[in-house]
Amino acid sequence: MTLTSFPPPPPGADHDDLRQEVRAFLAEELADFPPEMRAKSWNGFSRAFSRKLAQRGWVGMTFPREYGGHERSALERYVVSEELLAAGAPVVAHWIADRQSGPLILAKGTEEQKRSIVPRIAAGELCFCIGMSEPDSGSDLAATRTIATEVEGGFRVNGTKVWTTYAHEADYMILFCRTGKSEDRHGGMSQFLVDLRTTGNIAISPIIDMGGEHHFNQVVFDDTFLPADALLGEKGEGWSQVMSELAFERSGPERFLSSFALIEELIRLLREDATEAQQAEIGRMAAHLMVLRQMSRSVAGMLNAGQNPSLQAAIVKDLGALFEQGIPRLARSLLSRPAVPGGRDSYAAVLAYTELTVPSFSLRGGTREILRGIIARGLGLR
Amino acid sequence: MESMIFNMAERLLRDHVSHALREDAAAGQCPEALWTRIEEAGLTMALVPEAAGGFGVPAAEALGLVRIAGAHGLPLPLGETLVANAVLARAGLPLPGGRLTIAEGSALRLERRGATLHASGRLTLVPFARWADRIVTIAALDGVDHALALPVRDLAVEPALDLAGMPRDDAEVDRTLTDAEAAPLPAGTGGMRALGALLRSLAMAGAMETILRMSVEYANDRVQFGRPIGKFQAIQQYLATMAGETAAARTAAEMAASSLDTPAFALGVAAAKSRTGEAAETVGALAHQVHGAIGYTREHALHHFTRRIWSWRDEFGTERDWAAELGRAALTSPRDTFWHFVTDSTAQGATA
Repeated sequence: MTLTSFPPPPPGADHDDLRQEVRAFLAEELADFPPEMRAKSWNGFSRAFSRKLAQRGWVGMTFPREYGGHERSALERYVVSEELLAAGAPVVAHWIADRQSGPLILAKGTEEQKRSIVPRIAAGELCFCIGMSEPDSGSDLAATRTIATEVEGGFRVNGTKVWTTYAHEADYMILFCRTGKSEDRHGGMSQFLVDLRTTGNIAISPIIDMGGEHHFNQVVFDDTFLPADALLGEKGEGWSQVMSELAFERSGPERFLSSFALIEELIRLLREDATEAQQAEIGRMAAHLMVLRQMSRSVAGMLNAGQNPSLQAAIVKDLGALFEQGIPRLARSLLSRPAVPGGRDSYAAVLAYTELTVPSFSLRGGTREILRGIIARGLGLR
Repeated sequence: MESMIFNMAERLLRDHVSHALREDAAAGQCPEALWTRIEEAGLTMALVPEAAGGFGVPAAEALGLVRIAGAHGLPLPLGETLVANAVLARAGLPLPGGRLTIAEGSALRLERRGATLHASGRLTLVPFARWADRIVTIAALDGVDHALALPVRDLAVEPALDLAGMPRDDAEVDRTLTDAEAAPLPAGTGGMRALGALLRSLAMAGAMETILRMSVEYANDRVQFGRPIGKFQAIQQYLATMAGETAAARTAAEMAASSLDTPAFALGVAAAKSRTGEAAETVGALAHQVHGAIGYTREHALHHFTRRIWSWRDEFGTERDWAAELGRAALTSPRDTFWHFVTDSTAQGATA
């Protein structure tokens, strides 16, 4: 049964020297970074931090040298990623570009697209967002309505994207939309590379989440003209291009470390005199974390070996979201200490932030129900 | 993992472990003929170093046999014999052959009486004791762990059963040990409790893979409301949940197996027993829900596997016992942060 088999990451995957270098860097850079900022996890935004990280060679690590990368393995990149997340470093300015947009451009882009964009991603200078969901197309991505119509010299785009994370800061969007009518639900889709700094007729407006944070946006395309060379990959191949990104998007440490700041706060307070019952609860959480990390590293090893572990990635994301979402429950069962948004007590502030963030963990990047449907099909249900 | 010995074992178990054989075993009949085949195939020596008569396969691979024994619901102490032989070999004791089992020895009193060693006390919940030739255990004398091989025929065995109807007996020990029955172990072998927990974690993972496969097959075959029940999203969600828990269980058990004889083992096995025991709850419950009433009958094979995982999660430390051990280590760790504890305790060069 291959779906339940997660082979160990290859020997040497710990990359201890690299890990210590990253830790030393973070200890210095984030010396005064408070827990309530660390709680934002990979939603923290700092272009300055992303650029500094890139100067150390830790952005675009797996990209070819020719395009500004460092030709390091997916497992070395994994070490850097998990250290950044565990420290709560503000990484979103480069995260999406580094994780999936850069690799997508390298795999499907033209030589001109690769040369003009990938080196700037590796320099930590470009922020990407992903234009996928729409008001009437959430889990049902094939219901996408935004359409790019071929015109002289390029395309005219009309439609609306929603839940577009960091569109208000991003330099580029990878736009997923319809380019033709097709009998096949998955046919007639394409991806575009949209320069948000120079393209006219794009209206970006904020969607505030229930915790009062601004990550989401609505992006409206109104007869927006895209030049022909904005097409990314083959016209009509958008669906399969998107599907091939999913294993990268769903299996990384960001799928189980989003509540990590709360774990550290909780353990800091329990350390001195935990009861046996509290120890057992912490141990249970630690066991889950150790196993999730091994599964996620296993997927990184499979990706590094050129396999397509998209089913295993769906399992990591499903289990990872349950883990992250369970941390406020764990904290509340071990300590009687109310959540206070923005409170002076860092535990109370981090608990408040985390409680108001966890509902999104099983929605973003594929809902729990969609993931389980994918897993069920992978089991051979007819 | 696809080694020769692994494939041979898979074939042997597939051909000979049937529902009828498991039923007979649960009725008290030891499957002697199957044991002879297993022993003749050399499977019981897989964890013994080459120098002591083994085949020199890596430990993680040899331990793969325990997972597939669990996957077939083998009613014999194969895993116990693997570990018992490895412990005896490490202590330089003779490997007597035959069926061996293991017991936690922390309740035994080991003392010098003149020139000889004497062991006394009670061994509890010993798997397959009455079907075994020897119970191998580890007990301390003056702070040094010793391996003991106790002949079952000379012990007072008090029979009892586990949830699956397999022998899990108590044994009263009061015995002067011969030179072939006791010897000091090199430091760092670890106790029988941890080795037993590793066996049970691997066997649970294997049994859960079988339970998952049976549940998928049933969901494809069983028709209600004019279609296979696997077409219903509620059933699909159950099966996907079972797959996630089974995958986590197998990963946990294999992570512990590959850390055997490294400093990472102590906490790796704690994580494995705690995580697999927890998965056993969810996987068993959902498998019965998917199977409906037929899965709750003696006639259907499902119970051989669900009853086993619910027994195994209790043995050699429950998930709560091991979680407390892991949590204590995390909360008293001298490392700066919990994250450092997690990465360091699972690294290949770990210091626990």
